Amino acid sequence: MAQNLIDALALGSLYALIALGVTLVYSVMDMMNFAHGEFIMLSAYALYVLAGLPFGIAVAGAVATGILVAVAAEWVAFRPVRNADLSAQLVTSLAVATILQNVVLATVKARPKSVATPTFVGESTQVAGLSVPNLEFLTLGLTAAVLVGLGWLLYRTRAGLAMRAAAENFEMARLLGVRADRVIALAFAISGALAAVVGVLLVMQTGQVSPTMGLTPVLVGFVAVVIGGFGRMFGAVLGGMLLGAASSLLGAYLPDSLVSFRDAIVFSLPVAILIFRPQGLLGGATGEARV
Amino acid sequence: MTGVRLRSRASLSVSLLAPLVLVALTALVGADGTPSLQGTVTTILCNLVIVLGLQVFIGNSGVYSFGQLGFAAAGAYLAALLTLPAAFTALQTPSLPDPIAGADLGPLPSTLIVVVACGALAAIVGLPLMRTSTLAIPISTFAFLIVVYNVLANWDAVTGGASGLVSIPRTTTIGSAACFAALASLVALAFKWSSSGYRLQATREDEVAARSLGTGVTRERLIAFTLSGALCGVGGALAVHQSGVLNPTTFYFAASVTTLTMLVVGGARSVFGAVVGTIAVSTVNELLRSLEGGASVFGVLTIGDTPGLAAIGVGLILLATMIAMPDGLTAGREAGELPWIRRLRAMRTPPVPAPAGAVGVERSHAPAVSQTLSAEGIAVSFGGLHVLRGVDLTLRRGEALGLIGPNGAGKTTLVNVLSGYLEPDAGSIALDGIDVSGRSPARLARMGLSRTFQAALPFRQLSGLESVAVGAMGVGVARRRAVEIAAEVLERLGMREQASLAAGSLTPAGQRLLGVARALATGPRYLLLDEPAAGLSEAEGDELVAILRAVLEDFRCGLLLIEHEMSVVMSLCPRVQVIDNGVTLRIGSPDEVQGDPAVVEAYLGSSYTVAIGA
Amino acid sequence: MLELRGITVAYGGVEIVHGVDLGLERGEVVGMIGPNGAGKSSVLRAICGLVRPSGGEVLFEGCTLTGMAPEKIARLGLALVPEGRHVFKTLTVAENLRLGEWRDPGDATLVERTLDRFPILRERANEHADRLSGGEQQQLAIARALIGRPKLLVLDEPSLGLAPKTIDLIYELLENLRREGTTMLLAEQNAARTIDFCDRCLVLGGGRVRVHGGREELQGDPDLLRAYLGGGR
Repeated sequence: MAQNLIDALALGSLYALIALGVTLVYSVMDMMNFAHGEFIMLSAYALYVLAGLPFGIAVAGAVATGILVAVAAEWVAFRPVRNADLSAQLVTSLAVATILQNVVLATVKARPKSVATPTFVGESTQVAGLSVPNLEFLTLGLTAAVLVGLGWLLYRTRAGLAMRAAAENFEMARLLGVRADRVIALAFAISGALAAVVGVLLVMQTGQVSPTMGLTPVLVGFVAVVIGGFGRMFGAVLGGMLLGAASSLLGAYLPDSLVSFRDAIVFSLPVAILIFRPQGLLGGATGEARV
Repeated sequence: MTGVRLRSRASLSVSLLAPLVLVALTALVGADGTPSLQGTVTTILCNLVIVLGLQVFIGNSGVYSFGQLGFAAAGAYLAALLTLPAAFTALQTPSLPDPIAGADLGPLPSTLIVVVACGALAAIVGLPLMRTSTLAIPISTFAFLIVVYNVLANWDAVTGGASGLVSIPRTTTIGSAACFAALASLVALAFKWSSSGYRLQATREDEVAARSLGTGVTRERLIAFTLSGALCGVGGALAVHQSGVLNPTTFYFAASVTTLTMLVVGGARSVFGAVVGTIAVSTVNELLRSLEGGASVFGVLTIGDTPGLAAIGVGLILLATMIAMPDGLTAGREAGELPWIRRLRAMRTPPVPAPAGAVGVERSHAPAVSQTLSAEGIAVSFGGLHVLRGVDLTLRRGEALGLIGPNGAGKTTLVNVLSGYLEPDAGSIALDGIDVSGRSPARLARMGLSRTFQAALPFRQLSGLESVAVGAMGVGVARRRAVEIAAEVLERLGMREQASLAAGSLTPAGQRLLGVARALATGPRYLLLDEPAAGLSEAEGDELVAILRAVLEDFRCGLLLIEHEMSVVMSLCPRVQVIDNGVTLRIGSPDEVQGDPAVVEAYLGSSYTVAIGA
Repeated sequence: MLELRGITVAYGGVEIVHGVDLGLERGEVVGMIGPNGAGKSSVLRAICGLVRPSGGEVLFEGCTLTGMAPEKIARLGLALVPEGRHVFKTLTVAENLRLGEWRDPGDATLVERTLDRFPILRERANEHADRLSGGEQQQLAIARALIGRPKLLVLDEPSLGLAPKTIDLIYELLENLRREGTTMLLAEQNAARTIDFCDRCLVLGGGRVRVHGGREELQGDPDLLRAYLGGGR
């Protein structure tokens, strides 16, 4: 039981990271970014490409890739539609996702590639009578570090302050001299870094990369944001945790005949939540009235 | 009034025929071609049915659903299983229940079953999803798509699992696909121009305004979602009967993006656009797909093996469209509405003929307990701000009450409370003696309470006549009668020319007056007008007063007027209520109010009153 | 310092403001009054870059503002206190103020000095801005605009929704600012107080400047009363 709980926590943390990345962009731009999954995928491929190098450097390279791709996508594709309505932006992000996914498909081909990961990742450590996979420690540790780092960034730096202000009321922030372009670029950069962390963790978990690996994570992120309530960081984390926990626990406790339907069940949960609370668990109102 | 038309016969004919002509032409292109060309053409036509399914929901509601291909998948699988001979089903899907496994139906009966089954599925799935917000629907429908995929890929014994099904009878021909495509076009057009379709379009244009006219947003979306599911199911069935094989990825993410691109490129709001977009994008898609295995372009450029080339092309097309041409090739217009066609005289909307008899929606004249709209003790605060602090208001049928007060005094908030857009922290509202506190705007509209908005909130893409007709349709009037009522109302308001113009192209004054017409079309017992005279010149203000006086006489409704334009209020309203700082300052005749020092002070400040020695 | 030439503003293809001219010198306090819908807010929004004028020019110390992004205009020294205040509710009072620090980024004392000037805000410095009353929020909005040491302070309906006593307080504050030499442009519905306070006023109606004058000319003018309350019709 305790083992299952830790598994649930680990998966929940992973999903929370995804949801955070999605929410960050949403809070500043009111856009749910379909391409986030491809940021994850491309970072993972970076890890694959850099596999020969010392692990730390490869990871750094993956993070750099995530940030670069995200910022580039914003500059090329999302900036021109910044003032379009929500649906238009969503569809644009879908286009970007399709392009990125298929460019990789075209260049690297569809077959998943294996990635060599450091041996300690595959091992487990004994803690309090339980055998916990090291990867789960890593996931939990990284998530905690990310949350602390993000909290520091948002609440203790000028850039973070500008971002929080912009998230609440973009126009008003601009009237006070906050540079729109920089805030949005920063949001995307952080989002890309978060995506990279997720990508690295996924690679270590599955040992492989494939062009379509970003599809389910981005859905997870979206659904977590919806059930947590739009635009709230805390809601995203909560939504991610719930989704991850549900997925993990279902995987452990579902009868064999239904196990393969785990995803189907998990992704039907948001519907149930939305029936009773259409505004999500923490009910994010989608933004205050603008100036 | 009879003989009123929303569009000329010529324009209607062109709009109906154009998709059919395109379908026929496409079919002809493939008719005598190579087998591969025939295959391509058939694929285009099958895609078209699915895209038309998308158009029905996305185009009319303005909400993106990413789950429609889940219905196509469901339809495809169901059709496949129904038409697979029993021997094959036993082999591929051993656990399939007997009625389906044993069924060895022809393409037509199976397709009919698919229509009903997919429609039902869409209704069930849509019931919870359509109640969520406009942004939650894309995501929850995306989740639905993945759930469908997951079930299909894992329920091996019933669906053949990830490897899918083979040896499905290949019964779709160019002819049958063309017939279905043509039929789907007509269905899509019929829906778009039906009462339900118009109400849904109104929610797309402006959800808030649509609610004020009695339209239930969730209900209309659900209807379109159901129809869309059925159409997509048929498309799936057609496609599977062309290819003969099926697996869960056939109608999944890539296909969702491709069909969505077809719709967006053509112009989501238009059925003609769906057809044009499908043909254009399908052609490019098939072309690029043929190059994926490696090819030599014009004998000069050699492309290696590039899977995903078609998808990249489609993605680029979609991106370019969203950036440069978000309304699509047709800009959302049907064939009969295209600018170069409208230049022909026969295509223009015929002028609205003069009304003959009585005006307005017939309302049951059941004797009411009391013929008033009354509010008692209304209190509203936002955060720490007390906007309304216990306001009473009584509006009688057939009377005009002016509501005035300085900016920020709480007048619009009061109207929002009365019309159901805002729940007060305290107080109650009664309409003709019935307690209506907490009822939704749409419900109130159907009970006889309508309003206009300071910002007009026009249905930009609908014509004046259509906009006003939506008002009547919102309270349940059939389409033909609604159009007649709309014409009558527009005539009474002197807006005959604006009937055929798009609401988005009118001046703010025109849009506001159109808003009044819209609200009148609901046959209100009580009409709340929020600053109808803002920005009007003196002459226009006089005209408005005359119009509103006529409205009072014709409709015998209660009229509540928020206005800053004092000349309008004073000439029209025998009774005026002054609100300041969230409380009622004074109720009286215009003269009494104008001469009241407290009122003057509220507007112009105490130093003013001192200066004029009041 | 500030000059508007023939400003027209249109929303959705329809003109709301039809050619407004305005001139403002350093140290002046100018008011814009007129009933709701007259176009006052639209003119201010055009000046601050929130909306692009469909015609005309805005010049600020010789620099053309028309078409510039709002954050650039703010950094040139033009600060807007918008209608409805729009303080950042999810931020504390101190954080709201720190946003304006861009001019002197290293200056830790800037917020402190501002809090000295606004003792009420000092009390609430670490509370979230949504806990403040309307009057306190208005003070915060003004303080926030002032932190950047703007050359021109633009206020859109500062007395909106406030109780009379609070309005007195706000105008006392503005009077202090005037004495310090702050140049101000003010849009108000509350005509008498504005006429009294400003060096001169423009009366807007239907998107045009109807009357323009100083205190003596406008005060007690019966035409002004008519513009607001009708009568004599």
